[in-house]
Amino acid sequence: MIEVENLTVKFSSSTAVDNVSFTVAEGESFGLVGESGSGKSTILRTMVGLNRHWTGNIRIAGLDVRTTRQRDLARTVQMVFQDPYGSLHPRYTIGQQIAEPMVINGIADPLGRTAELLDLIGLGAKFQFRFPHELSGGQRQRVAIARALSLSPRILLLDEPTSALDVSIQAEILNLLNRLRKELGLTFVIVSHDLAVISYMCERLMVMRNARTVETLTREQLRARDVRDEYSRELLAAS
Amino acid sequence: MTSKQETGKLVEIENLRVAFRNDEGGWNDAVRGVSFSLGREKLGIVGESGSGKSLTGRSLLGVLPSYAKISVDKLSFDGIDLRTASPKLRRSLRGGRMGMILQDPKYSLNPVMTVGQQIVEAIRIGNRKLGATDARRQAIAALEAVHIREPERVMGLYPHELSGGMGQRVMIAMMVVREPDLLIADEPTSALDVTVRTQVLSIMDELVTRRGMGLIFISHDLNLVSRFCDRVIVMYAGRIVETLDAKNLHAAKHPYTQGLLACLPSIDGSLEPLPTLNRDASWLEAAR
Repeated sequence: MIEVENLTVKFSSSTAVDNVSFTVAEGESFGLVGESGSGKSTILRTMVGLNRHWTGNIRIAGLDVRTTRQRDLARTVQMVFQDPYGSLHPRYTIGQQIAEPMVINGIADPLGRTAELLDLIGLGAKFQFRFPHELSGGQRQRVAIARALSLSPRILLLDEPTSALDVSIQAEILNLLNRLRKELGLTFVIVSHDLAVISYMCERLMVMRNARTVETLTREQLRARDVRDEYSRELLAAS
Repeated sequence: MTSKQETGKLVEIENLRVAFRNDEGGWNDAVRGVSFSLGREKLGIVGESGSGKSLTGRSLLGVLPSYAKISVDKLSFDGIDLRTASPKLRRSLRGGRMGMILQDPKYSLNPVMTVGQQIVEAIRIGNRKLGATDARRQAIAALEAVHIREPERVMGLYPHELSGGMGQRVMIAMMVVREPDLLIADEPTSALDVTVRTQVLSIMDELVTRRGMGLIFISHDLNLVSRFCDRVIVMYAGRIVETLDAKNLHAAKHPYTQGLLACLPSIDGSLEPLPTLNRDASWLEAAR
C-alpha cells in the first residue's frame, strides 16, 4: 500500500530525513517513533505532498507522489495533525470545514455526507453549525478526523494525534481510530513519541533518530523487549 | 531558608476560589475551595484540562488575569502573606524566589530576542552587578545543564528556530538559572521526548534536592507524576478529590483517579478498546 524508498529530505542546511525506506501493507497500522527533530513528521508531510524538495521514491496505493496531482493524492491519503486548535479554521463552522474538501472535489451531496461523517465520529449532525471555539480539544480532534475521512481516503497519516489531549480523551480518540480502521479498512501511519500508544495502535514500528532509521520492529518484538539498538533500548527504558 | 525550616511549610493555601464571569453576568467557579501546603518536596497536581490545576499555580504566583475573582483564606509563601503583599514585593518574588515554567515555549519566549539575550536578561535582572561575559558564560552553562547540544550556537537562535523540545528546555534553563525557592512547573515536559524528559526531570530533581527547593509539578500524566513526585493531588472540576502518596497511587480510592489510571494504554497492555471515563455527577460535589 505504501512504499517509501531511499527518501531524503533536505532543508537549506540540514538533512531532515536521511535515506529512509519502509513499506506498509494494506490495512496495516505502522508507527514512527523517535525524538523531536528526528524526521518523523517530515516523512508524513512529504507523503501527502507538503514538501517539494526530496529525493527517492514514494508510491502510495500505486500512485507516484512526485507526479500525481495533489487533488488525486488527497483522495487516497489524508493527514491528521497534532494540534486540533491549529488545524481547524476558526471562522468556518464545523460543517463547512468537513464539507469543503468534498466541494473542491465535486463530490455529490457534501452536506448529507457531512452529517454522516459527524455521526461516524461520534459527535452527531447537530455539531455542523458550531464553531471550533465552542468545542473541546477532543471534539476538535474528532472533527479533524472527520474532515480527513471526507474524501474516503484509504490511508490516514496521523501526526501525534493525541499528544495534545488529556489521557481520558486520548483513550476515546484511540478507540475511535481503531474502530474506524476496522470499519473502513483503513491503513494507518502513526507518528508518536509515546511507545505505549504505538504498542497499542500499531502492528509494526520504525524507530528513528537524527533523520535516520534506527530499526524496524514488530509489536511482538517490542513487547518482548527484543530490540537490538541501544537507542531503542533507551527509549523503552524511559517509557 | 531559615524561616522555611522553622515552619516547615514553604507554601500554605487555604480555601482558594477562582471565578470568571460568564455570559449571563454570573460567576463560573473554576477553582472551588482548594487547600494544601507544600514543604521542601515535590508535589504533583494532576487533573484534566479545565480542572483548575494551572489556575491554582497561577494564583500562587499572582499572575491571574485582572478579570478573575479570587478569594482565599490563607495564601502564604515562606511566611510572607501574599494576600496583603504589595505588587512591588510580589513582582520581586516572581522570577527570583518563585519561578514558573509554562507549557508552551511558542508563547512564553520572546519571539524577537535570541535565546541568549533572553537568558542573559533573566540572569542580569537577578544580579545587576554581573558583567556581560560572566552572564553569557552562566547562560551557556544553563543550556548545557538542560542537555542542549552546541549551546554556543543555540544562544544565537531565535525561538522560531527551535524545536518544541528545545524551546521547552530553554525555558527550564531560564527559570532554573536563578535557582528559585519555589518552582511551579506547568506541564514542563509535555513537549519533550521520553528520553529528554527523563533528563529534564532529573535536572529538576537535582535542584529540588540540592537547593532544598519546593516544586509544584502540574501535569495530566498520572504515571509521570507518580514516578517523579513525593505527593500527588488529584483535581477534578476545581476541587481536590484525592491526595495520595505518590508511591501509593495505584491504591487510589476515588473512581476518578482509578479511571484516569485505567484509560492509559501501556506497552504490554491489552489490545481491547481502552476503558473511558464515565463522569459521575457526584464527583463534582465530592469533598476532598
